[in-house]
Amino acid sequence: MRTDAAQAGAIPEELIEPSLTVGKVTPGSLDDQVLAFPETKPPKQWYVGLAITLTALFIGLGFIGYTFVTGIGAWGNNSPVFWAFDIINFVFWVGIGHAGTLISAILFLFRKRWRNAIARFAEAMTIFAVMCAVIFPLIHVGRPWLAFWLFPYPNERALWTNFRSPLLWDVFAVNTYFSVSLMFWYLGLIPDIASMRDRTTSKLRKVVYTALALGWRGAASHWQHYEKAYLLLAGLATGLVLSVHSVVSFDFATSVVPGWHMTIFPPYFVAGAIFAGFAMVVMVLVVVRETMQLQNLITLRHLDVMNKVILSMSCIMGYSYLMEGFTAWYSMNEYLHHGFMNIITGTYGWAGWITISCNILIPQILWFKKARASYFWMILVAIGVTIGMWFERFVIIVISLHQDYLPSAWRIYKPTMTDFGILLGTFGLFFTLVLLFARVLPVIATTEVKAILPDAQPSHHGDDHHA
Amino acid sequence: MSQAKHTANLLWGAVALGALGVAGSYAATGPERFWANWVMWFVLLFTLGLGALFIVALEHLVNAKWSVPVRRIPERIATLLIPAVPVGLIALAAVPVLYPGARPEAAHHPILAGKAFWLSLPFFSVRTLIAFALCLLALWMLVGGSLKQDASKDPAFNLRARKFAPAFMAIFALVITLVAFDWLSGLTPEWYSDIFGVYVFAGAFLSGLAATALAVLSLQDEGRLEGVRGDHLYNLGGFLFAFTVFWSYIGFAQYMLMWYANLPDEVIWYKVRLEGAWRLITLALAGLHFVLPFFALVTRDSKKDPRRLRRVAYLMLGAHVLDIYWLIFPILGAPRFSWPELSFALFFLGGILLWIRSAMQKGEDMPVGDPFLREGLEFRL
Amino acid sequence: MPETSYAVLGVFETPDALMKAIPKARASQLGTVEAYTPYPIHGIDEALGLRKSPLGGMVLVMGILGALTAFGFQYWISAVDYPIITGGKAVGSWEAFIPIMFEVTVLFATFTAGLGMLLLLNRLPFFGHPVLSSKAITGITRDRYALALEAENEAFDAAAAARILQEAGATEVEILPAPDRSPFLTSDYILRVAGGIFTACLGAGLVMYFAIKLFPVLAPMKYMQDQPRLNAQKPSSFFKDGHGMQRPVAGTVARGHLPTATGTQDESAALVNPLPRTKEIFAVGRQAYKNRCEVCHGAVGDGMGSLTAAYGAKPANLHAQQFRDYPDGKIYWAIVNGKNAMPSHAADLSEPQRWAVVHYVRALQRAQNAKDEDLKVVAP
Repeated sequence: MRTDAAQAGAIPEELIEPSLTVGKVTPGSLDDQVLAFPETKPPKQWYVGLAITLTALFIGLGFIGYTFVTGIGAWGNNSPVFWAFDIINFVFWVGIGHAGTLISAILFLFRKRWRNAIARFAEAMTIFAVMCAVIFPLIHVGRPWLAFWLFPYPNERALWTNFRSPLLWDVFAVNTYFSVSLMFWYLGLIPDIASMRDRTTSKLRKVVYTALALGWRGAASHWQHYEKAYLLLAGLATGLVLSVHSVVSFDFATSVVPGWHMTIFPPYFVAGAIFAGFAMVVMVLVVVRETMQLQNLITLRHLDVMNKVILSMSCIMGYSYLMEGFTAWYSMNEYLHHGFMNIITGTYGWAGWITISCNILIPQILWFKKARASYFWMILVAIGVTIGMWFERFVIIVISLHQDYLPSAWRIYKPTMTDFGILLGTFGLFFTLVLLFARVLPVIATTEVKAILPDAQPSHHGDDHHA
Repeated sequence: MSQAKHTANLLWGAVALGALGVAGSYAATGPERFWANWVMWFVLLFTLGLGALFIVALEHLVNAKWSVPVRRIPERIATLLIPAVPVGLIALAAVPVLYPGARPEAAHHPILAGKAFWLSLPFFSVRTLIAFALCLLALWMLVGGSLKQDASKDPAFNLRARKFAPAFMAIFALVITLVAFDWLSGLTPEWYSDIFGVYVFAGAFLSGLAATALAVLSLQDEGRLEGVRGDHLYNLGGFLFAFTVFWSYIGFAQYMLMWYANLPDEVIWYKVRLEGAWRLITLALAGLHFVLPFFALVTRDSKKDPRRLRRVAYLMLGAHVLDIYWLIFPILGAPRFSWPELSFALFFLGGILLWIRSAMQKGEDMPVGDPFLREGLEFRL
Repeated sequence: MPETSYAVLGVFETPDALMKAIPKARASQLGTVEAYTPYPIHGIDEALGLRKSPLGGMVLVMGILGALTAFGFQYWISAVDYPIITGGKAVGSWEAFIPIMFEVTVLFATFTAGLGMLLLLNRLPFFGHPVLSSKAITGITRDRYALALEAENEAFDAAAAARILQEAGATEVEILPAPDRSPFLTSDYILRVAGGIFTACLGAGLVMYFAIKLFPVLAPMKYMQDQPRLNAQKPSSFFKDGHGMQRPVAGTVARGHLPTATGTQDESAALVNPLPRTKEIFAVGRQAYKNRCEVCHGAVGDGMGSLTAAYGAKPANLHAQQFRDYPDGKIYWAIVNGKNAMPSHAADLSEPQRWAVVHYVRALQRAQNAKDEDLKVVAP
């Protein structure tokens, strides 16, 4: 064979992919390490964390209750800034979810094996983030108890919803996204829950896990359909993840508001969502890795690759910002031009610069291999990106709205305590759910990691089944 | 061998016949139609080369192993960037004829006056030259280095290519955006769409993929590329499928947003394409560039099937030609297709095929110096 | 050892051992060969001779169905059942239906893939499978690879099967007893389940109905209705007289009713009729005259309206010399302010209508007092 010659030179160290696990990891040791968490008592820090997140959650609930009683006049929204924190936070949280779907679906299709160790956590974060996101449109409808009017169902009012409205597309997109993510997550959990069912000694857990595992028994004939279903779901979720944030971007881009009506919005929103989501995943995984002693399963290589994804997304965002600025000039449209200048020099210019520096400038540090391996830099970048992406939505929504075509209608927007309180509350909800998840369900998809351990698959000796 | 000789003679004949027609068309139909054809074939040539080079760079960027055995194919196709340079330099002569922004009237046009400098021939040429220089540099780095590695077996090339890949992505983004904005949307300079670069990228990448798939399959017919199996074809088919969907997504997003907002300066671009005979061509484009390949490749087995993959690859290349035709020709009014277009097709297709055929005979069919070749050959789904 | 056995289970330490044992177990032809593993093993489908999963086709069909459903639903609602133009778009514009069409396609396809795999192909949930109560299950879901020879009929030879597996290298061999084969779907069971589902649906429906009905009128949801506002025809404590509706303040001018002819009739003589004398204007004046003036002044303006005889009133004969000499402004003044027994028509006739009536009255006057030279004016 001609390839033998290729083995002559020594492969440079940088090109050799380090192993996905550190030290000796066997299927059994993996179960003992990962599946043991739900069976042991959580450490003190966990309770402290839960206390903090619950406090934030209840503060948020309080402000939501206040909004219920007084109406959304409690927020800073005004005319013409009809959309503000509510929609910013909605877009922000939906975006956070996208990393999970990217990791679980797209990287699965690309057969990137490093995804297996982090997919479970990322998928869980998707579901929690979407839960946080849906709160906002629901409380923004003004009378949230009538939010079911959003669905097209035959009713005594003899009305139908308007299918030409991007807001209704959102209802479908977000609901589909949540259902599909939940399905994807649950299917992945079934074999793991079966493992937990068969190892637990507690009666109560046994009953719960038995019910949740649906009687999974690992039959080869089942695995065959299961793998096919997983592949199909990954393909479908890939399309879905592109569509959901595209539909969210349609909320803006179908309008004629300068700064909203951009044809690049659909792919640019998707890239931004993945960007913000990965930052959140890195942030949470670093904490999980350290506190739960998962260094052998979530290795520096995982973090390195994720940081590279963040870096490439940052570059795509940079391209989009450049195109936005270029178009503002190239179109020779004074409204577009004014809108873009507002981002850089307007009243909210500081927000524009936070966006640009946090999303484009700071992540460039990740070009250095050392920064990709250092907690300090990666956390710094992750926090920066989270802040930057939040402000990006602020820039898009508030800056574009507060000055549009009619100068007599221009108005400055100021958020109120309630706005901040509800935002804090969703962070509380998100991290409460993350903490609960980390103690109740397997944080690492043990089944998937088992399948990629060395010697996990039969060696190919002549029986080439692909021939 | 005589068979190959025969084919080569046939291709040379096509080129000669095409050249006659090309020269005749300038005399018979006037400069506008001649240059529209010339620009179309320049864009096709350039995007095909860029798309192929993008496949090579993508492999280095993400450190993909499965594509190492077939990497030489896009590398060879990417050398089309070399003939693209003279073709493009000649195409610059089309700028004052076809591009309203480069005409003297632009200085008094309410919209174009402000960007007249950007659209003027000198700056247009400078940008084009920069794009050519960057492309040739990338070609030399990625393809030249790979060819040298065949003899040297030096794995350091992989490292260099890997380090260069991110820079290439920046170059690629710049060049493809320039192609989109200068050569294509510059034909209607009042019209703007910031997604347009991504749209052209999707088409370019697809054409590169389709050409790669076709070349791989025809080399396999000759008994070459031993060791490339259904698993590799599956990946090529998968990419073709995914980027067919991506192209449609970008195309639909642009159309839908403009349709919805209904701003006069944007919809005019679609209005000419949705009226009269152009409407049929638009529908045909949607069918040939999306519906047909989507259903042809949607199942798992179809992506591995060489016969189907070959048909879809032909279809995709044809659809890409139609796409560029659809982007350029509406400036001439009603769709034109007659002997001048056929002559151009003969001339350029013959030339491209001759170039690729000779490129396919040079050097090894696989990057034998690449340390990951074995891993790539052992790749399994 | 139980009378009948369901299967014999052999446990292997490594996937390689399992894969090697599969052909041997299959060659023995003692029963169906099935493997139980903690994760999917590459190539085991072919080794076991499993047929291709039909899931892909199911998902494709359901996906297409989802797309058609979504498109049809949206089109029917937007273009047929409730056609309302929004945003200047045609009611059946397909572009707007694509996003939801895509989402519903994915939704249908996902649920087909997930639930089809679980419920249809894998027949889960099923908690009574013998393997679940075997000793080996703790290993199967952990790090052991089990091969089962499953009975196909009553003649299953468990001992031979155990021997085969042992020879194939199984570290442990376990014979699984047949599960309790009492019928699963009895008519009683079906009835109870159907009844339960019906009751649950009924209950849920009632709860939904009352929730939708009552929930919005509970506090704090009703706060939005309890706003300080004035309701037409309803009392209100806001005004002293206790009425919600109030008379307009004196001197209020309605839109489109700028006050004219406010002085005496003589002062209004100078007003000039702003309307041209066209066919349309005369038509307007004629209609207004018929509606408002004719009952008293008569169809031709001679003061012999239908009310005249009944009530003994004496409306002006507009053909009297006095009125023929009136300037337009004075007639206009009379319409606005009324005169003698004639009430004001300001509230009933808009300003253009009043002036149109003036034109019409002039036409009547001329028609009733025609001169010879008027004949010459008549031209085609």
